[in-house]
Amino acid sequence: MFAHALLLSALLAAFPQGDEGFPGLPAGRAPSVEIPWNRLYDVDELYAHFDRLVAAYPELFSSEVIGYSVESREMRVYTLNDPTTGAAEEKPAMWVDGNVHGNEVQGGEGVLYLAWYLLENHGSNPRVSDLLAGYAFYLLPTVNPDGRASWFADAHNAHSSRTGVLPIDDDRDGRFDEDGPNDLDGDGSIVQMRKHVPGEGRFRLNADDPRILERVPDNDRGLRGDWDYLGSEGIDDDGDGRINEDDRGGYDMNRAWPALWMPNHVQRGAGPYPLYWPETRCIARFLVEHENVAAVQSFHNAGGMILRGPGAEAYGSYPREDLRVYDEIGKDGEKMLPFYRYMIIWKDLYSVFGGFVTWTYEGLGILSFTNEMWTNDRNSPDERLPNGNEGRHWFDDNLLSGAGFVNWVPFDHPLYGPVEIGGFKKDVGRVPPTFLIEEMLHRNAMFCIRHAREMPRVVIEEPEVTDLGGGVKAVDVIVRNERLIPTRSALASDKRIGSPDVFSLTGEGVEVLAGGEREDRFRPEDIELQEHDPARLIREVGISGRRTLRIRWIVRGSGTVTLRYEGEKIRTAERQLEL
Amino acid sequence: MSLSALLPLVFSAFTAPLAACPPGVSSQAGPPATEFVYDGERLASELAALAGEHGELVTRHLVGTSRGGRAIEALRIAAPTVPDACPALLVVANLDGPRVFETGVAVDHARRLATGFAAGDEAVRALLDRAIVWIVPCANPDGAAARFRTPLAMEHGEGHGIDNDRDGRQGEDAPTDVNGDGVITSLRVPDPEGTWKADENEPRLNAEADRNAGERGSWKIWIEGRDVDGDERVAEDPLHDAYVNRNFPSGWQEHTPEGGLFPTDEPEVRALIELVLENPDIALVITYDAFDNLVEKPKSVKDDARAVKRIPPAGVLESDAALIEELGKRYRELTENDAKGDDDDAGTFQRWCYDHRGLVTLNAVLWELPTDPPPADEVQAEDSEAGADPALEEDPAAADGDEAAEEDEDATESDEPEAEAPARRGRGSDAKSSKQKSKKKSKDSDDAKRLAWIDASSEEAWRFRPWESFEHPDLGAVEVGGFAPYARSEPPVSDQAAIAERTFTWFLTQADVPARVELVSCTVEDLGGGVLSIEAALENAGFLPLSSRSGQRTRTTRPARVRLLVPAAATLLAGQAETLIEELDGSGGRQELSWLVHGPSGMEIVVEVDTDHAGLDLARPEAR
Repeated sequence: MFAHALLLSALLAAFPQGDEGFPGLPAGRAPSVEIPWNRLYDVDELYAHFDRLVAAYPELFSSEVIGYSVESREMRVYTLNDPTTGAAEEKPAMWVDGNVHGNEVQGGEGVLYLAWYLLENHGSNPRVSDLLAGYAFYLLPTVNPDGRASWFADAHNAHSSRTGVLPIDDDRDGRFDEDGPNDLDGDGSIVQMRKHVPGEGRFRLNADDPRILERVPDNDRGLRGDWDYLGSEGIDDDGDGRINEDDRGGYDMNRAWPALWMPNHVQRGAGPYPLYWPETRCIARFLVEHENVAAVQSFHNAGGMILRGPGAEAYGSYPREDLRVYDEIGKDGEKMLPFYRYMIIWKDLYSVFGGFVTWTYEGLGILSFTNEMWTNDRNSPDERLPNGNEGRHWFDDNLLSGAGFVNWVPFDHPLYGPVEIGGFKKDVGRVPPTFLIEEMLHRNAMFCIRHAREMPRVVIEEPEVTDLGGGVKAVDVIVRNERLIPTRSALASDKRIGSPDVFSLTGEGVEVLAGGEREDRFRPEDIELQEHDPARLIREVGISGRRTLRIRWIVRGSGTVTLRYEGEKIRTAERQLEL
Repeated sequence: MSLSALLPLVFSAFTAPLAACPPGVSSQAGPPATEFVYDGERLASELAALAGEHGELVTRHLVGTSRGGRAIEALRIAAPTVPDACPALLVVANLDGPRVFETGVAVDHARRLATGFAAGDEAVRALLDRAIVWIVPCANPDGAAARFRTPLAMEHGEGHGIDNDRDGRQGEDAPTDVNGDGVITSLRVPDPEGTWKADENEPRLNAEADRNAGERGSWKIWIEGRDVDGDERVAEDPLHDAYVNRNFPSGWQEHTPEGGLFPTDEPEVRALIELVLENPDIALVITYDAFDNLVEKPKSVKDDARAVKRIPPAGVLESDAALIEELGKRYRELTENDAKGDDDDAGTFQRWCYDHRGLVTLNAVLWELPTDPPPADEVQAEDSEAGADPALEEDPAAADGDEAAEEDEDATESDEPEAEAPARRGRGSDAKSSKQKSKKKSKDSDDAKRLAWIDASSEEAWRFRPWESFEHPDLGAVEVGGFAPYARSEPPVSDQAAIAERTFTWFLTQADVPARVELVSCTVEDLGGGVLSIEAALENAGFLPLSSRSGQRTRTTRPARVRLLVPAAATLLAGQAETLIEELDGSGGRQELSWLVHGPSGMEIVVEVDTDHAGLDLARPEAR
């Protein structure tokens, strides 16, 4: 199948690229690499699609292995960059990852779609070409390849396989992972168990649809239920009187990051120390070593959220200047992603200590979002279909031909006796139905691009030289950050993260007598001089988003001088000038 | 290779400087070499020798490799006959870096255990019959290596470096030995902006000028160094910033130079953590380092103290604090040591062991530069009020278990060289003393008392370098001098053997401290019709509870498992085949269990208890 697709893409690549790219417009040309966007892909398939893109666009797209998962799967970072405009590490870069929770699979496709969209449009859509001329992308499709692989291969429900697979003794009995759910009926799904308990239950059958149990309201009319839920499909494997209490793994790699990290007893799933799992540590190492990362996006599911930190109330609040950036992008995101809400993690969702995007911002100073992709609201955009159990069944019956539901079947349980097993399958609820996957991916990818194009871009404007007499000149320069994200986030400068920006003036035969930031555009003497080494002005605060910096140097001498503005998260801006 | 043949060579290597420097000569640049002071090479060969000579008892383990590429080794000392699941005592020395003498004491422990065991020493056998001992004699070999370099300086690791002075260059202005005397001390730089002056009572000490009292400062104080980057700051941007023992996850201080990039980024830290995680039999941790909780009562909080914004308050839970206090009392009685060391344990191994693993951790500071008056026959008698220590009196916040002490330290102006003052929270006796000195006092400061102690013996003269005029290449006329590195922590040569011995004597008493489960009774009664009633009582014969209060909170200590083993033909009518026991107080804490079993007459019944860290036991019920 891939061989066929490769042949096709090779053929298509031979054609000259027109002005209209795909998928910008529906009548445009076919993409070079066709990827069916109505499916979700297991790790190997996902990586194979990435590799097809590498094969089709070898000059723009490359991969490296930055580490290995617990089960020795490759942790791959794909770098997307247009090298004709500079090396990736010379440009501000956006990090995008997905699927840190093994069951939150569509994050992987989200990263794939972003890569595919940018590659397919490069050279045909000028805005995309411009984006890739200025910026690079580091893309890690799956933070938790083991959890992802298990979710595809093993019996699961929508919520299981969130963890990685390193064995943890959840019930502290000295045995590891010995009592997880069991696929009792062998149908490949872990669904629910219910039991008929006449007159002793808390639930009754829905009068119109016996697939649905509804809670019997607390009442004084003698109404009693005949049914009870008994939890997920499973037995007491270790004979300790409890069922499903020591499942595979049992931790949360999105509680493992070193920003306000808290141990397990405060933050469940955090593990014994920050970055304990190899998947997390290799990513942290990569980010620490790539100081050019200026934007971070992480894809999760579900619920339709654009999340930012703080993850915990104890952190306090973020600097106002950075919130301006967060808010503009987040609010645009709400317009780009119907039913999604821009939210603060601890305040609007729940407390998360040691989350990834809180670390990339609070620890590394990089503006970062998490998107919770997909919301069941999207099943019925006009809201006539309720989102409760009846609505889910109606949708499944009428739009999926009932494919999403395992109907109740009798089973003789070793402890509970006769029970029924049934429920929605793992790929219902947290991931979209096949026909809505592409829309979800496209809108989220475009949100990344919205974010990416705000990474800082610094230009040095035409300097103005004033002869002060006696061979002494004043050089007035305006440096502009054209984009919304500051060259150094307010947090980075507050907390002294990384290196400050440096704006320098150098030239043979030119002596810099003084230099500093002008504080008043009309009064040149109102200048905050840098006491030492004025040829090399240190900018701890960098340049704010869409703001300018006015610098004045007082120099003696003449000749060619070079003005250079450098920072970790920008392309070096340089300008020459004759004095 | 014959290790015993190697040893005399090694020993002669370190004794040679002693011989070359007879007592009474004060020209020596740094602390003297002694048999308790091991450089990396000698430490490795000593550990190899111990493992080689006592192979049945002592094994060498590579715990990890430091940032600087040095091995972190451990000795595991386990008698061949030691029972399964018995507790392990973990001894860790010199996490701080400069605490090289503590390494010597830890090695001395190992040597005494090995030779004592071989010689049938009763006390040693008693310990090794009941416990395994892990010894990490040097947790911070990079820091320790500085002790053996010239120029002499104190280092806390070779950790992650930052751009301290925010000039876009990292590590370009490190301390250096500008006057070439082989020791990095301090500079007094005359400067109209200076806020320091000579202490009026002891002009060798620096005191911050009190403008409210009409005083003017005349010096800036810096760590000895150049102004390489010409920013009028001296030695303000060292190459390495992260401290090994500030990089642990509990109480870690984000965005501080010594905290490092993220907790566990320093390889030493991860290595030690992994050692603890991999050995769930560790039941007691003992550190010989810069922190104490045996002389001074640990800061405590109520067991049920509420979390603030979901974060539990810092401090030892009071029921654990009571146990540590008792163990501290025993320590003081046996050792007569009253050294307290540093009190800020944020980001340390000691705090991590307790906070995140629930391990009772006993922290000893083996010696500190005394503030006691020296013997009367050597110098004139001190001020009669010298015993009262104003600095300590001003520290009540430290015992309150709140954060006020830390804030106080941050807020207090430090007389540490200015290069370090803005960013660093400091570590060890230097920081502590500066905190004390900065307070305006009418009588002698603690440092003045320390100086008096040094003055009393010419052998101790190396601890303070008299201020000497020096023409500094960047700063002009300055003075160089002050307390020497290691002056505050390395004990006098003549005391070292005694400190090692008394510490070992105390250490030997620790075998009885960890929890030890015992099935003290186990009975059966035939109720007729094949129904048997079985009862068992479990007791803790150790001092500590099965799990500390902190361990119950962290849920990192695995509970004891009590199992009833009966033939397959039997049926359990009441009770659980396996019961997990979370709590069992020390000193005789008791839990009773009972079962009803239906089964064939004369069936074999066994009750067993199994733990990770408190032994195991097995009983066959006797008829009631």
